[in-house]
Amino acid sequence: MRAASSKRTHLVADFSLPSATVVTGAAGWLGRALVQHLSTDSGSYRRDGVLRALVLNEQEAQSVRDVSTNVETVIGSVTDPRSLERLLDGLPADTDVIHTAGVIHPGKVSDFVDVNTTGAANMANAVHRAGLRRMVHVSSNSPFGTNPSEHDTFRAHEPYNPYLGYGKSKMHGELAVLAQVEQGLDAVIVRPPWFYGPLQPPRQTTFFRMVRGGKFPKFGAGTQRRSMVFLDNLVQGIVRAELTPNTSGRGYWIADARPYTVNEIIETVGRALKDEGYEVKPGAMKLPVIAGRIAERADRLIQGTGRYQQQLHVMGEMAHSIACDIDAAREELGYDPQFELYDGMRRSIQWCRAEGLEL
Amino acid sequence: MTVLNSPIHSPATESLYDTEILIIGSGAGGATTAALLAEAGFDVLVVEEGAWVEQGTVVPFSLDQMNQQYRSAGVTVALGLPSIAYTEGRCAGGGTEVNSGLYRRPPADVLERWRTQYHIRDLDPDEMYAIAHELETALNVTKVPGKVSAPSMALHRGAEALSWENSESPRWMKYPAGGNASSGQRQSMTRTYLPRAHRAGARIITQCRVRKLAIRGTSASEAAVVLANGQPGRIRFRHVFVCGGAIHTPALLQRSGLHEHIGDTLAVHPTVKLAAHFREAINVPDDVPVHQVKEFAPEISFGGSASNPGLVAMALADNWAEFGHAVNDWQRISVYYAAITSQGKGRVKAIPGMRDPLVTYHLTGRDKQLLRSGLSRLTLLMLAAGADEVYPSYRGAPLVRTPGDIANLQHSFATTKATVMTVHLCSTVPIGEHPRCAANSFGQIRGMKNVWVNDASMLPDAPGVNPQGSVQAFAVRNARRFIETNSPRG
Repeated sequence: MRAASSKRTHLVADFSLPSATVVTGAAGWLGRALVQHLSTDSGSYRRDGVLRALVLNEQEAQSVRDVSTNVETVIGSVTDPRSLERLLDGLPADTDVIHTAGVIHPGKVSDFVDVNTTGAANMANAVHRAGLRRMVHVSSNSPFGTNPSEHDTFRAHEPYNPYLGYGKSKMHGELAVLAQVEQGLDAVIVRPPWFYGPLQPPRQTTFFRMVRGGKFPKFGAGTQRRSMVFLDNLVQGIVRAELTPNTSGRGYWIADARPYTVNEIIETVGRALKDEGYEVKPGAMKLPVIAGRIAERADRLIQGTGRYQQQLHVMGEMAHSIACDIDAAREELGYDPQFELYDGMRRSIQWCRAEGLEL
Repeated sequence: MTVLNSPIHSPATESLYDTEILIIGSGAGGATTAALLAEAGFDVLVVEEGAWVEQGTVVPFSLDQMNQQYRSAGVTVALGLPSIAYTEGRCAGGGTEVNSGLYRRPPADVLERWRTQYHIRDLDPDEMYAIAHELETALNVTKVPGKVSAPSMALHRGAEALSWENSESPRWMKYPAGGNASSGQRQSMTRTYLPRAHRAGARIITQCRVRKLAIRGTSASEAAVVLANGQPGRIRFRHVFVCGGAIHTPALLQRSGLHEHIGDTLAVHPTVKLAAHFREAINVPDDVPVHQVKEFAPEISFGGSASNPGLVAMALADNWAEFGHAVNDWQRISVYYAAITSQGKGRVKAIPGMRDPLVTYHLTGRDKQLLRSGLSRLTLLMLAAGADEVYPSYRGAPLVRTPGDIANLQHSFATTKATVMTVHLCSTVPIGEHPRCAANSFGQIRGMKNVWVNDASMLPDAPGVNPQGSVQAFAVRNARRFIETNSPRG
């Protein structure tokens, strides 16, 4: 349930709303959510003015138009600088660009670099050259790896420790954006961990199915801590990062109010499924911690050969804690997450059902 | 009993000493115990293996000091993978003569953990903090007058830039009127509790090594010692307090035939370090920074190390081929450490025929991850403080100039490549009523009527902060309990 009133304790001076907003990766999970929130009546951050979306092809363009009719689509790619010139062509100086385009589970490892690193560099360069107001760069927890212990929590400032190919490409993406900031670009980095919510891709329904069947992998005692972010919280964080002045060059964790333990995630998602009328088999697939280490090693080996195996990658990460602290976003951006795991998961389940997806 | 004009200490020369209370070791635990018991009217003899070295006769944190005031010139190692280097003071005053002088009270959550997990009876935080307050007065615990040193300021500056919690740790230090950060005089045991013990009539003999205690049944009656001239001697006593530090207390007890839970649970704060180079001169060769960064405490803490040119060279030595040239610019370099609370466990084992015990310590996987993370975060802290080059201390370490370079550090670091070292050794004779404790809640060795411990060995586990304040607070508490339950011989 949405909290009755915002708990923002101090006012953060805002930029005015931009005349135009650009969203890259618009056909992705997060991209479509942004388009919906920024341009439709059901969105929480509806704004007037131009909304322009970068998509890879006509099929993607259609999927964006399915979400909103108030959107211009431009076909192109962050890997093609000329298409980015087209994307930004004719936009006024008070335009903001929200860069969500990225590859998380690619066909081959080299896609990581092309999209996440070179793509981010191209985008930062294009925004800077076009002289636009601000770029919000959506990064990840992956440039920072995993916490050294279950009690450890990532702070706003952390040393890079990229987790395999994805983490490395996202780290270099951040560095490319920060290099443009040194040259005068105004850009803020947003770092969401594992996110969940409506519009989810099929791999996330697997997640619900594993919990329902009592088969979600749990390493050791399941006391690892994971930060997660409900999509609506993430959209709020991105908009706060976009509209808060004097934050250029900063990076912010955008996550739910607190990290959850793996046990809590399994229990809460199970409860949400049950309360939505699904039958849930209690329990989880208990695995020794060493199994997670083996998956991690195998993932490393396979990525070393240039290939990518999604299940192994996710398994390898599940044995670790990835917990972050959102205090900086609260204090400096006025970010105030409105959803916790149970409500967020119920909404996700409801969306899946409305879409006719089997769980 | 007052012997104002007698010298405060003298080398051990007599073949037979007789005393009511024998205190073995003159560091934070032994000196404190000696002062309290002597002031309560007990006849006290303190024996110290090392020499009495007057402050001011050696340069603090120098190699000369290591030769004179450390055991084995500072070269002592706990075996394991990696092996962990440790240092111990061996002189009158023990570790208090050579440590950083930073003072921290025992944290409330640590006292609670010790009370509940080790079943330490009558452990009252109010009483402990009242004792802490007394200690702070007796040791003149205070902050630096005026500006802190440049290497300390760097820690503060970096932490503020990252919004990491940091503070100046007070020290037991006396500053003259109008003094500055470098004019303090450490209020170590040779300046405080040992003179107090002497004024109350205690005898203090140095250069006297205790080989073993003669134990019959549930009592010990005398100590076999080696005198200053190398000849054997004996000390007869009614009670003995073993305060030789976390390595030599359990070793002596083991040599004396006491083994149960003794020496099995060595706890330490493992540290890794780096050398940070700045654009401006920063080095202070004869002092350590007073700031500590506690954002990730108790798991990880950051602070500054002694940084004379020799120690700067040692910090660069692990990758000397790449980093060695930097030592020429030592004035612009200071050394910093990351310390962790370890879940590993070590052992101290006396070996028949060997002078020193075998010490082993094994880090856990989590410890190794914390050390890697600690060194990486410390590197980021130094960049935030304005360092232009950071030299992490391990074999094959990369030179770090930018945040992106830290990724290389994270990936190439392994504890087996690093010189992991530790101070803050403790917990080899843990106190409490729990069956795994070696001594009762007040330091009396299980099953013995007159053998006590009252030094860092008694802390049930590592406190996560500089431990001297904790050691002394427990020493005072336990000495008072002893005074309440025992009367001086008439």
